Order: sequence, then C-alpha cells, then structure tokens
Amino acid sequence: MAQATAFYLTGLIMNASRFSGLLLVAPAVLFIAGLFVYPLSYSFIDAFTVAGDAADAGTRFSLANFVLAFELYGDDIVFTVLIVSLSAVLIASGAILIGGYITLGTNRFLVNAVRILYRWPLFIPFIVAAQCMRTFLAKNGLMNGVLIEMGMLTPLETTGFLDWRGIVITFVWKQLPFVALLVTGAMASLDRAGIEAARDLGAGRLRILWQIVVPQVMPTLIVALVLSIVTMMSVLSVPVMISGHSPTMMTVQMAFRVNAYHDYGTANALGVISYLITGLVAWIYLRRGVAGKGGEK
Amino acid sequence: MTQASFWQNQAQAPKQTLAARIGDLAGGGIMGALAVGFCILLLAIAIFGPLTNLLLWTVAEQWYFPHTFPARYGFDFWARVFHPDGNAFVSLRYSLVIAVLTVIFCLSLAIPAGYALARLALPARALILLVFLVPQAFPNIPVHINIARVFYQLDLHGTVGAVVLVHTLHGMVYAVWIATAAFGAVDKTLEEAARDIGAGPIRTFFTITLPSAMPGIIASAIFVFLESLDEFTGTYFVGAPEITTLPMLMFRAGMEGNYQVASITALVLLVPSVLFMIVVERFLRADVLAAVGR
Amino acid sequence: MKFKTLGFATTLAMAISAHAQAESILNVATAGSENMVEYVNQYLAPKFRELHPDVTVRVIGTGPGDAGSNAIMERLSAQKDAGASADIDVAVVHEKPVGKMVTDGLLAKYAASADTASLVSSDKAKNALGVDVEGYVMPMFQSQTAWAYHPALVSNPPKSYAELSDWVKENPGVFGYNGIRNGMSGVSFVNGWMYAFTGEADKMMKGPFDPSLVGSEKWNAALADLKEFNKNVTFTPGNAGTLDMLNRGEIGIGPVWVDMFYSWQADGRVNPEIKLMLPEPGMPGQPMHYVIPETSKQRDLAVEFIELATSPEVQAHGIVEQFNWYPGIDAKYLESELSADVWDKLFADITPEDLATKSLSFPLVGYFDAILTSYERDVE
Repeated sequence: MAQATAFYLTGLIMNASRFSGLLLVAPAVLFIAGLFVYPLSYSFIDAFTVAGDAADAGTRFSLANFVLAFELYGDDIVFTVLIVSLSAVLIASGAILIGGYITLGTNRFLVNAVRILYRWPLFIPFIVAAQCMRTFLAKNGLMNGVLIEMGMLTPLETTGFLDWRGIVITFVWKQLPFVALLVTGAMASLDRAGIEAARDLGAGRLRILWQIVVPQVMPTLIVALVLSIVTMMSVLSVPVMISGHSPTMMTVQMAFRVNAYHDYGTANALGVISYLITGLVAWIYLRRGVAGKGGEK
Repeated sequence: MTQASFWQNQAQAPKQTLAARIGDLAGGGIMGALAVGFCILLLAIAIFGPLTNLLLWTVAEQWYFPHTFPARYGFDFWARVFHPDGNAFVSLRYSLVIAVLTVIFCLSLAIPAGYALARLALPARALILLVFLVPQAFPNIPVHINIARVFYQLDLHGTVGAVVLVHTLHGMVYAVWIATAAFGAVDKTLEEAARDIGAGPIRTFFTITLPSAMPGIIASAIFVFLESLDEFTGTYFVGAPEITTLPMLMFRAGMEGNYQVASITALVLLVPSVLFMIVVERFLRADVLAAVGR
Repeated sequence: MKFKTLGFATTLAMAISAHAQAESILNVATAGSENMVEYVNQYLAPKFRELHPDVTVRVIGTGPGDAGSNAIMERLSAQKDAGASADIDVAVVHEKPVGKMVTDGLLAKYAASADTASLVSSDKAKNALGVDVEGYVMPMFQSQTAWAYHPALVSNPPKSYAELSDWVKENPGVFGYNGIRNGMSGVSFVNGWMYAFTGEADKMMKGPFDPSLVGSEKWNAALADLKEFNKNVTFTPGNAGTLDMLNRGEIGIGPVWVDMFYSWQADGRVNPEIKLMLPEPGMPGQPMHYVIPETSKQRDLAVEFIELATSPEVQAHGIVEQFNWYPGIDAKYLESELSADVWDKLFADITPEDLATKSLSFPLVGYFDAILTSYERDVE
C-alpha cells in the first residue's frame, strides 16, 4: 500500500515537474527578458537596419552593416577566435593540472601552497590585470628588468610581449583561477574510492588524473570554459591596453566604431557576430548533453 | 565494474609493498618533490610577478626607465585618492552595498532556475541556458544606453536598486550556469532515499539537495560579487551622478594610464573581495563536511 | 515596484549618512583625465562654495578620450528621448562630439549670459570642426599635440613630417604611435601627416567640404606614403601606451598630448629629461569645452560655475600654474596673474611663436571621417 502511494505520488510529481520547472525558471528568465533582451532587441534591430535612401526617410532592413563589418574587420574576427581558443586550451590544461595536484597530491605542504597560491588573480579586475601586465611584460618592463638585474638576460636580448601573446597571457592569468576553482571543487566532491582503488593497483597519478578524475569533472570543466570564453569575448580593456597592433579583438573595433564614427549599426553587427560565435560554442556543448540531463534520465 | 565489486576485488588483491607505499607518500621520491616544488615556485612567480607590479605602483611616486624599480616611494597618491574633498569613501560604501545586494538578488533568481534546469524536465532547456549567456556575450554599451533610457522613463534612474538590477544582469550568467552545474552534480540516490522515507519535495530540497549543491552556489556567489565590483559602464549609465562606485574610478584611471590611482583603488577593492571569499568559504567548509558521508 | 522602494530607501539612507543635506546640488560631468575630476573636487568646488555655501558640487568623470565625451552625449540623448530633464548641469567635453551635441539640440546657448565670454578669443570657441557652436561653448583649456622625444635616444630629431618620413628608414622602430585607435594622439599624427603630404591643410581645416579631395591623387599618394612609413614604426596601445613606451626607452620619439605629457611628468611616470617639439607644418590641437545641457534645471548656477572656471585668476593658477596646460581664455589676460617663471615654464619647449604658426585645428568632420575610413581601408 505504501509502495503504491509512493509510486502514485512520484508519478504526480514527475508530471507536475514540467510545469513547476517552468515556474521556477520563470522569474530569472523574465528578468533577463525584460531587462536585457528587450533593450538588446534595439541593438539587434539596429544591426540589420541602415538609414533609408533619399526618397524614404525611415530605415530599411539591410545586411550592409554586416558586409562592412566583414570587409573591414574580417581579420579581427578570425584573430579573436584564435586568441580565445588558444587561451581556453591553456586555461583548461592549467586548471586540470592544478585541480589534479590539489586532489591527488600527497605532500601536504605543497598542496596547501598551491591551494593558497592559485586564487589571487581572481580578485583582480581585468582592467587592473591589463595594467599590471602592460608594465610587467614590456620590453623594458618589470619582468625583463628583474631578469637583467639577476644577470639572466642582457638588455639587448629582452623581448616585449605587448602583442597577441600579452593578450593571451593576461586572459590565462585572470581566468585560470576561475576555472581551477570550479574544477577543484568538482574534483573534491568525487568519490575517493575509485581513485584509491586505482592508486592501490599502482596506477600513476597522471594516469589517474586523465582516465578517472577528468572524465568525471568534464561537465563542470566545460561549464567553466564556456563562461570563460564568453567573458574573454566581451572584454575591452585588455586588448585596448596591451596590444597596439592590428588585427585586434572585436570589442576594440566595436568601441572604435561607436566612438569615432557614431556608427552603431556596424558596432551592433559586430556584436551580433560575437554573440553568434559564443552562442555556437555554448550550443555545441549543451547539445552534447554534458551539462546534465535534467529529468530525462 | 561497479564500485561495490571493485571494493570486493580490492580486498582480495595483494597488498602494496612497504617500499612502494613510502615511495608514493613522498610523492615519487625526493626528485619528484623537488620537481613539483620547482613548478609551484614558477606558478608563484607567474601569479605574484604581476601582483608585485601592482603593489609597487601603489607606492611609487616616481618610476621611469632606466630604473627597474620605482625611483621614489611615497604615499602621495593615497592622499590624492582619499582626499577629504573627494568621494572615495562614499564610492567604496556604495560599491560594497551594491555588490552584496546584487549577490542576494541574483542568487534568489538563480537558485530556483538552476534547480529547474538541472533536475526537472524542461522544454528548450538548451535554449533557456543560452538566453542566460546573453548579457555577457553581447557587448554592453549600446544595451546599457537602452536600459538607461527605459529607467529614465520609469524614474528609476540614479537609485541603488537600478544599479543592482544592472549588476544582477551580468552576474546571472555565472549564477545560473554554475547553479545548474552544481545541482546537476548532486547525487540523486540521496534524494531518492529521502523521498522513499517520506520527505516531501520541498523538505528534500532544503535538507539534501541545497546543501550538496552549496559549494557550487558559494562559488557563484563569489563570482557575482567580484563581477559587481568590476562593473563600470552599466553603473555609469544607470546610476551616475547620484551613485559613484570605486570601480568607476578604477576604470577611468586604468584607461588613461594613471597607474598609481588605479593600483590603489584595486588594492582597496581587493580587501573586501578577499574577506568575502574567506567568510563564505568558512561557511562552505562546514556544509561540505555535513554533506560528506555519502 | 518593491525594488524601487528598496532602492530609494537604500539610496536615501546612504545619502543621509554620507552628506550633510545641502540645499542644492550642482552636477558636473567631465570627460578626460582623472586629474580633471580632482581639479573640480579640490580646487573649483571649494572656491564655488565660498560664493554659494548652500550648493554642493558633485562631479563624475566619464573616462578619457572621445569615449568619455561620448558617454556624456549618450546620456543626454537618452534623457532627451525619455523626455526627462538632464541630470548634469555642467559638462566638459572634447571638440569632436561638441558639434554633434549642438546639432542634436542637446546644449544650451549660455555663453551670452556669461561675464567671462569676452575673454575668449579663440576661433575654436566659435567653430568646432566645421560646426557653428558659437554661444554654446567656452573653452576650459587648449590642448595641443606635439612630438615628445628622449634626447639621449634621439639627439637630432627630424623637424618636419617630410624629414621624419626619411628618418624612420634609417632608424626603424624608434618612432612609435598608436595608429588611429584608442588614442587621439595617433589620430592627430595621421591628420598632421595628411596636412603635410596633401598640402591642403587650409582647405581641410576651414572648408568648404569638397568631396573630390577624398580619394584624389594627392590623397591616395599621402596614404600610400603613410603605409610605407608604418612599416618602420612601433605601434603603441594608445595615448598612455605611447608615453609608457617613451618612458621605458622602447621608442625614442612619438606624438603626445601636451597636457597629458605634463601631467605624467608631474606624476612621476615620465622621465623628466624628455622634451617636446612641434614639427612642420604643424600638428592639430583641440580645446576641451564647458557646456550646459539644454534641459538642466540649474542653468544660472551652472553659468556662475563656468564664469568662475574661466575667470583669469582660476585659469592662471588652476590651469596654467597647477597643470601646465594652455589656458582656454586669451593668454594676455593672465599675464598679470602669473609670475614670469611660471609663464616661461609653460613655453619652455614650445614657444609662443611656434604655437602661433604650427598649432593647427582638426579637419572638418567630413574630412576627419574620410581620413579615418581611408586609413582603415588602405593603410591598415
């Protein structure tokens, strides 16, 4: 009897879950819809409109903004994608290594050292990180200056990193703790039994990391990476302050269009392109179902 | 092979030799420990190198090439930033109040959303998650201008509430996505067990699900807090001139190359951020301990 | 609605705890560097309080460069579209956005009612890049771009654009500028280049706008030369980037804003040995303007504030003595207020004669945009 009631109640809940699910999500979605998507729609529409011709004073639908965006800034779009991808790969590797060491490391002192160390860049906002890196990585900046003082380099041998490498370094420096924090947390919640068993069987720690730990924290890692990619695509301060070269990241061109030409159309077109790129990345991972399956199991 | 049968096998496997055990404890021997130690030293340099740069700029009154380090140290710029006629203290207070309110509001929206997206069957789940990506993925300035326009019409402009709303927008990405991941990682068997004993869904949520997901939720609280302290353009369009925040000062000083002021402001903002993290992590550890035992 | 109440309550609580309740508040928004915010807070505001003890001056900075001025313009536009009155009473903006702000009807024509208006003689107060702004603006200070160079690295700097063009072939990488992005010093350099190599400086500055000049042979030749030139230069990240790299000896010579240069030297971020010079045929400069939004509710107070800021005393001791910037009002009114050495310091590297002949203005908006677009298309 108790079993039947339980079964019945579970059935009720499962059917109600769809509705209650929507209800729970509603406040958050409405908030975003009202406060962001609605103003955003103006920008979206702006991307697809140009001022009308002499005969027609209004605006008309056109892809002209996109054509201009690709014509002038096509190489910047490619540059952005490459930079963000490279940074993501480096961040993922670093986070796995750090998280792996904290979880699997046996020397307590060293593990604690890493645990205290890796978090600090989290608290430094991007603009400050860019500023630090600008005077740190320069040809005659602090890093090279110290190396020269220590006798490891001569002034003629120094190189500056104030180009795409500086941008990648800054992104990795700032985002690595973010991803590492989430990954370490996920690794810490894993069931130790499997790890211990593999260890007792004599498997090396790197092997344990790669074959047992990482697959289990994949969902968290992917989520953290998607968030990092989204953040990196939207940062303006870092490319502005670090690299003067062309090509540069899309955000710089967007700001330039607005500030120099008041050309919101092309700026918004670049924005749409940027959103499509990040949306694509997120979509791929969501479709692979690695973010969890909700009630479908 | 299930966990259970693994354990059974384990009981029957030959014990590891003593030498092998010691070797493993020492982390692969002295050389191994040294190698790892060296890597950690490199990591420390990579992290603290740029931070040292920051610290040096906070006390540099004169620093130009060929001096590797500042030519003259002093607290001149601290006096400038915290000048009695300036509004540094008011800005700091506003920044902190807004950040805390943002965390509260953002989590109150994100926790139910994260739970629903992770645990309940929802149509167009992927699409909804993508919608939450939007505030970070789309460059902000045009949108903030439009939001400001709306706020002017609603007469909300220049209030703390308005700024909190805008900060919540940016925090939502982290909050919802991380909450979804956190709830998704909760062990369902515990929940089912609780349900079998007869606990209702709400009780199960508050006693089992939420505590298990707490580490992730705490992490997202930290990120929302930090994001709020990093936010400039929205605060300017929606809050100024009534509301000024320290990040606005930091942004302006950074963009124009006033390194001393920017570094000092960053250092000042670092303190509440680190404190916030320590406080919530203390809370986190207790709950993690409570949840351990599965 | 609940949040609005919460928001109001919190704001009110903070306001009560933070400020003594003043009878009125004058809101000042200033683009440009952070020390302009400090200037208002620590210098102008106390003086204004002596005149009006019941008025609190509240200032916000919007950031450096045209982006900062843009932010102010966007704000006023948004308020106008929403039918709300402006919440800024005085704004300090750059020259290029001012023209658009006037044509968009965002600004008040206040100068006629300001006592100090007669002290302003510069043409730039009447015409901003081809747009008639007379009566809408009063200059706060005049800024000028120049080439800064380190005498130890560049013992004999080239004296003109033409000389520079040859010089970089023998000294690659020693000249640095930021292109056209993220800093007006680079934009100013490019404009100066076009003036020098097309020979049409007068036409581009004074007009009328003649579309046939854009894309003409001279135009394209100048751009082609610039493209060649760029192969031998170092690119910097912006205004601050140029000063940075100059400071660190990574470049030896580059275009800078004179006011920014002096501020950085005062702040200890630039080597005191670095000098300035103005090349032939000249380099553009622009003023920063005081403006009052059309719908400001404190127009009279705002005008009084601007009168204070443009008075000879304040211009002499604030702008010239404290910052080493070129005054917004006619310099002859300041001579009695300043000692000779303060005056000389201002003109140590660039003499008044230099300024008279080589201080140019930016081109008309039509040419300005055309130069930027051509650069993006053909040079980058």
